[in-house]
Amino acid sequence: MNPHPDKPADPRFVEIFNLVKAYPNPYGEAVRVVDGYDLVMREGEVVSVIGHSGCGKSTVLTMVAGLNEITAGSIAVGGREIDGPGPDRAVVFQSPCLLPWMTAFQNVMLGVDRVYAHGTKQQRKEIVEYYLAAVGLADARDKYPREMSGGMQQRVGIARAIALKPRMLLLDEPFGRLDSLTRMDLQDVILNILDRERITTMIITHDVDEAIYMSDRVCMMTNGPNARVGQLLDLPFARPRNRAAVLEHPLYYELRGALVSFLEQQDHRVPARESAQMEAGWDDTLHMVEALNETELEEEPIDETATHTENQLVGAGV
Amino acid sequence: MLGLWIILILACLVGAAAWAGKHRTVKAIDVAGLNFLTPIVRLCYGEEPEKQLKDIGRFIVVPVIAILLFLGAWHVVSEKIQTKSGKLPNPRDTLHAAKAINDFHYRENDKQAAFNLNGEERAQELERVEQRLEELKPLEAEVNKNVAAAKEAAKERLATKVAPLQEELDTLTAKFKDAKKQRDDELASLASQAAVGDEDAKNAFVGKVRAYRQLASDERDRLRDLRTEINDMRAEKDPEEQRALAEQTAIAEERQYLGKMQDQLTDSNRYEKVDEENAKLQEARETLYAADSATILKAATKVAQTEDRIDRIEESGYAKPATLPYQVKRSVLCVFVGFLIGSAIAIPLGVLCGLSKTFMAAMTPFIAIFKPVSPIVWLPIALIVASAFIPDPDKHWFTQWLWELPLLGEYKINPAFIASAVTVALCSLWATMVNTAFGVAAVDKDHINVARVLRLGFWSRLFKIVLPSALPLAFAGLRISLGVGWMVLIAAELLSSSEGIGKYIWDQFNNGASDSFANMVFVVFVVGIIGLVLDRMMIVFQRLVSFDGAPTAI
Repeated sequence: MNPHPDKPADPRFVEIFNLVKAYPNPYGEAVRVVDGYDLVMREGEVVSVIGHSGCGKSTVLTMVAGLNEITAGSIAVGGREIDGPGPDRAVVFQSPCLLPWMTAFQNVMLGVDRVYAHGTKQQRKEIVEYYLAAVGLADARDKYPREMSGGMQQRVGIARAIALKPRMLLLDEPFGRLDSLTRMDLQDVILNILDRERITTMIITHDVDEAIYMSDRVCMMTNGPNARVGQLLDLPFARPRNRAAVLEHPLYYELRGALVSFLEQQDHRVPARESAQMEAGWDDTLHMVEALNETELEEEPIDETATHTENQLVGAGV
Repeated sequence: MLGLWIILILACLVGAAAWAGKHRTVKAIDVAGLNFLTPIVRLCYGEEPEKQLKDIGRFIVVPVIAILLFLGAWHVVSEKIQTKSGKLPNPRDTLHAAKAINDFHYRENDKQAAFNLNGEERAQELERVEQRLEELKPLEAEVNKNVAAAKEAAKERLATKVAPLQEELDTLTAKFKDAKKQRDDELASLASQAAVGDEDAKNAFVGKVRAYRQLASDERDRLRDLRTEINDMRAEKDPEEQRALAEQTAIAEERQYLGKMQDQLTDSNRYEKVDEENAKLQEARETLYAADSATILKAATKVAQTEDRIDRIEESGYAKPATLPYQVKRSVLCVFVGFLIGSAIAIPLGVLCGLSKTFMAAMTPFIAIFKPVSPIVWLPIALIVASAFIPDPDKHWFTQWLWELPLLGEYKINPAFIASAVTVALCSLWATMVNTAFGVAAVDKDHINVARVLRLGFWSRLFKIVLPSALPLAFAGLRISLGVGWMVLIAAELLSSSEGIGKYIWDQFNNGASDSFANMVFVVFVVGIIGLVLDRMMIVFQRLVSFDGAPTAI
């Protein structure tokens, strides 16, 4: 289970402390998309980050990957603060991001060449083939991205990330663009690899079932702007995971309920800053009316599409 | 002839479709950019015949009808346009010019071959030529007779056609002469009756003079019109006479060609000349051996001179005039040399511009200023610079080295050629540069992120990510460049007298022979078709490098 059996797993392998991302706003104060995000991850742990779209989940992930500048706070992996992107933190993007002029083999080889620069050509070839086989693409090694389905392309993306032997794996809604059957397949592909390699993993998702099935811990984020960790939920399921076992687990529905109720609560929550202002005793009559209106809204039956639109509005605001 | 070609193309298509299968054939057609042939292949497989027939109608029949309409309009318009160099050539004249150009090319090739023939082959060729000359003699006599008869017939036809007009002219001339005499007499008698102070009578007299002057002028005009009509009739070329004359010309040309061939096979033949000189050398040697101290110097000089002459003859070739196919090949070579020079400059600069905004800022003024400069401006400058480096191409090591090269040597690359190529390069490099810069700058952000995560170094980032993704746009730029280059080249050759299509046009413009005009019109099509082929070639390349398989605009 542990990549270094002689060493105990580092309980503070990833430390994210008071992470802030602010975008300048020419008409006022900078918009703090993420504000004070804290998270500690054990070595080998799989953490799902869940929240409504536009809440800043992906921003956190890209900052951990080093692709996005940090405004304030710190991120340390393996006891060292990160410095830009690097192959030690492999990323699987929402779109597969394969290079269209390279075959599946060449796409994976691109990273392998970089990480195993000291290995012989034969060794590198074997590594690439091993990982392509691990994602079930042994037969498609010479195909170009345009000849593959979205699911196959994402498998190549996963193989490319895992083949880097990263210390940390960052999955940014990796199944967001796939149909549900392909999504289930790929979830198992990733779980298999994680069972074998025990890589510390952060998965961004907005699918509650996916979060429960894939991870050891779920980090629920509050709505943005000023998004932060709202609640952490430990999952008791054993590894290797078995879909049926998870679904039949006595605590499954309780956990799922907790997640869903958090998300629903977030849906109707007053944005963080306003609530803070209200707490500070800023009780204008007008705001009282607004607050009353909101409580009324809460009683209305929840329409899925309506919440969606609202989320998009929040996303657009960010 | 055309029918044969169509049948051949169809046979090839059907063969390819049967051999490679429908999908591979269609794909090959697509890559080659000949999509108008696709419906035929699909029809062969019986796929939606109605739709395919509709497509054939739209993409093959309609263009053919349009071409026929164009030819018809051309024919009609050409009849109406009279110039100093003759009538605007109609399609038939142009086709005839094309044939003459082709014949000239093959005949020159024959002469060149004849010059280099020796031994048995030479004897055979000579026999063939002489036999053909014998065959021509009766033909020539017959044609001459035909021409004489046609001329006679044309004269008669003209005479009968002109006779009534001539008669009318003669009678009118006589009549007008009488009328004029009568009027003059009348005026004279009126003048004799004139009295001093009778104003009314004198004014009336003025009116009469004016009226008679007008009458005389009208009569003159009438006669002049008649004469013009008669002259036009005489000037009109009789079609039958023309046909007979054309036959006569063709035979005269062939006889001339055979005469030249005969000469190249006998007196002017290289080996014949060498043999002759060898005989002289033998003689000179004998004189040398027999010489005493008084005459030895003269005899030795003679031997040395003869030996030198033999060397020169052995090296010499047939002084072949440039034929259009040769000039076309040289032009295509020139445009590719220019295109390669331009691309060699444009692609690296374009990549740098795309990579670095600072470099782009440094380049922008140059792109902005030099891009609109016309080839006509670049050419004289390029010509002066090229001539400065290579003042005498017959002696310079670079041109001498080029002339020795196996395939290029034939084209005798000289400063004019280099100047034309450089002009092509200077005018065509901008499109490639701007497009490459744009392609490099517009690399997908996700791909850049991949490179960042992998921490790829500068070179592998450049060669594995940036350049491949910029390639389709860079090729789009190259395609534009080659098109621009081909247009520029003709003008550059025309001005720099670099042996090529441009020079051919200029020569035709200047020599003003009866067929020059038709030759020039034919060259318009040659230039157009070569430009089309170059463009299609670039489209094929562009498709081969475009990784997304997106269809390229036709």
